[in-house]
Amino acid sequence: MIHPVLDPKLAPPFPKAALPVLRNPQLRKNVAHATDVITSKRGRLVAEKDDWQALRDAASALRAHVLENLGTYLEQFEERCTAAGGVVHWAADAAEAREIILNILRDENASEVIKIKTMTSAEIQLNPFLAQNGIEPHETDLAEIILQLGKDEPSHIVVPALHVNRSQVRDIFARTMHLPDLSDNPQELTAAARTYLRKKFLTVPTAISGANFLIAETGGVSVVESEGNGRMCLTLPRTMITLAGIEKVIPRYRDLEIMLQVLARSATGERMNPYTSLWTGVTKGDGPQRFHVVLLDNGRSDILQRERERQTLKCIRCAACMNACPVYRQTGGHAYGSVYPGPIGAILTPQLMKMEYAQSLPYASSLCGACYEVCPVKINIPEVLIDLRAKVTDQERNEERRFFDPLYLGMRMANKVFASAGRFQAAQRMMRIGLKPLTGKDGWIRSLPAYGARWTMTRDLRGVPQQSFREWWTSRANGKAKP
Amino acid sequence: MSATRSRSAVLGRIRAATTTTPHAGTYESLPRAYRMQGELSSDQCVALLIERLREYDADITECTPDALIPTIATQIAKSGRSILAAPIGLPEDWLVPGCDWRVDHDLSHDQIEQTQGVVTAATCAVAESGTIVLHHGPAEGRRVLSLLPDWHLCVLKTSQVVETLPEYFARCDAPPALATFISGPSATADIEMTRIKGVHGPRFLNVIVVRD
Repeated sequence: MIHPVLDPKLAPPFPKAALPVLRNPQLRKNVAHATDVITSKRGRLVAEKDDWQALRDAASALRAHVLENLGTYLEQFEERCTAAGGVVHWAADAAEAREIILNILRDENASEVIKIKTMTSAEIQLNPFLAQNGIEPHETDLAEIILQLGKDEPSHIVVPALHVNRSQVRDIFARTMHLPDLSDNPQELTAAARTYLRKKFLTVPTAISGANFLIAETGGVSVVESEGNGRMCLTLPRTMITLAGIEKVIPRYRDLEIMLQVLARSATGERMNPYTSLWTGVTKGDGPQRFHVVLLDNGRSDILQRERERQTLKCIRCAACMNACPVYRQTGGHAYGSVYPGPIGAILTPQLMKMEYAQSLPYASSLCGACYEVCPVKINIPEVLIDLRAKVTDQERNEERRFFDPLYLGMRMANKVFASAGRFQAAQRMMRIGLKPLTGKDGWIRSLPAYGARWTMTRDLRGVPQQSFREWWTSRANGKAKP
Repeated sequence: MSATRSRSAVLGRIRAATTTTPHAGTYESLPRAYRMQGELSSDQCVALLIERLREYDADITECTPDALIPTIATQIAKSGRSILAAPIGLPEDWLVPGCDWRVDHDLSHDQIEQTQGVVTAATCAVAESGTIVLHHGPAEGRRVLSLLPDWHLCVLKTSQVVETLPEYFARCDAPPALATFISGPSATADIEMTRIKGVHGPRFLNVIVVRD
């Protein structure tokens, strides 16, 4: 398998990156199975909540309110967290966040660090940076160890290894943990990971986490998880570093009554995730005695400036949109070339890159609206997708070389053709004759020459029918219609 | 960029982005039309909690306040465990005879790891989601105490059971500095969506519900 590139600056465009997956039946089966299981569990548990829409409304309004008052809530969080013994750092971009974390780890004389699954650390490419600087990061979430040991990349934000099946996990564990007799029973595989990690939990004195929520009222941080690896990392070490996007703040402790109810149901189709932890600064005798929070901007304040796109930042990373997305369900996550795949990734990634990369992602959608329907904080993803498509088109149009680009010449010509009925009908007749040799017996075109290949590379094209609707309509009026 | 410069740069960008937007309203005016208050009777509520906890594969026993001590003894005996950790503020009569009790006078992580189980109290339980809430007071123990041992015996009073999550938050007079919400034993579904109990936390959760 080709090693996926999850750096938007280097990743190939979506249609190209999706190809190997579309031609890999095992991978598609793994992705379809996982998304089917979560989607059906989610549907069942959402149906049993009669106040689901009210919860969505509340969650959406709360997140929007936070974004409108983001500065106030962040300063409040900083003040309360500091008062409780935490140290708050601000990072304008990924490079600065990496430096801050490295400096803290160096002060701790750390040679290794245990990690709770965090998308934000993947966003800033923290693991390779730490490794280059002589600090070995250990992922502790089961899916993340599968990926780390298998030198693979996450393909989903809640179930990052959903593209890997049990026999593939067995092979990875057997090889890297030196357990040649390991079976592919998930129970046994999980037990192997438990044994492998227990020693790390008890001996590595520094840990890194993300945050699901920062609570302005108390300066507290909350992490939501299933396995208990999170609890291990945030209670056993001496020093804890939390990396959190600036949008993660919520006003008060009681707001968790909304967020926790929508998060677990949307993310994993459970009434509640097995463990939710909340801690505030440092507590004498309980948990790490040194605590740092790194507040990460990295493009987020730019998104905040655009009123329609701002809603992107309401996201609580539940991944319901990717499970529901017909495009994601076919391609899995690697095709998106970003640690944030699926519909939310398609709008978040280009914006985090300040619209300089990942320009193909706003097109990686059928605009069917399934993502909007399931989003617990009501992000209108199709609306943002269309907006971003317009931005991408504007950018491209403004490039000078575009004037001679065959695609744009064609588009300008098409514009003229579509503007007149006569020209359109003439073009239809020409296409019918011209495309005939390329059309198969079943009426489909599998491969077009020249520029058209860009379409047929990833999908088939319906041939031009023998009769156009307009022709059929006219002949019907003349009483000669075929049924 | 220096740390203070980044702070003012980020906050400056945020302020510039948000001052022009129309103010959607105060925190107090946010919509909260979801269910705050449950409708079940106290008995129904406890029954729902037990049902939900059992769905998570937790082991549940009910008893009267008078029978609590013998019930604790029976549950421990049934579990086949005898080296047990206890929070510093656990009621003394809960430390039933016949066990090797390690009371948490600053036990090291290794010492806790060497116990076979732990007995704790709880702050609250939410029936609808089958969630036990710990605020880590003296009878609930430090966070690590209910984490490292393989078996967690949690004693819960019916007066602590609420139906909905908002009811728990309404009971919090002041937000706690530490809290752990436990909904069943540690679990994962990372390998082919098969639910596996007990990855890193306690693999077994045993709850005694005391009808007070």
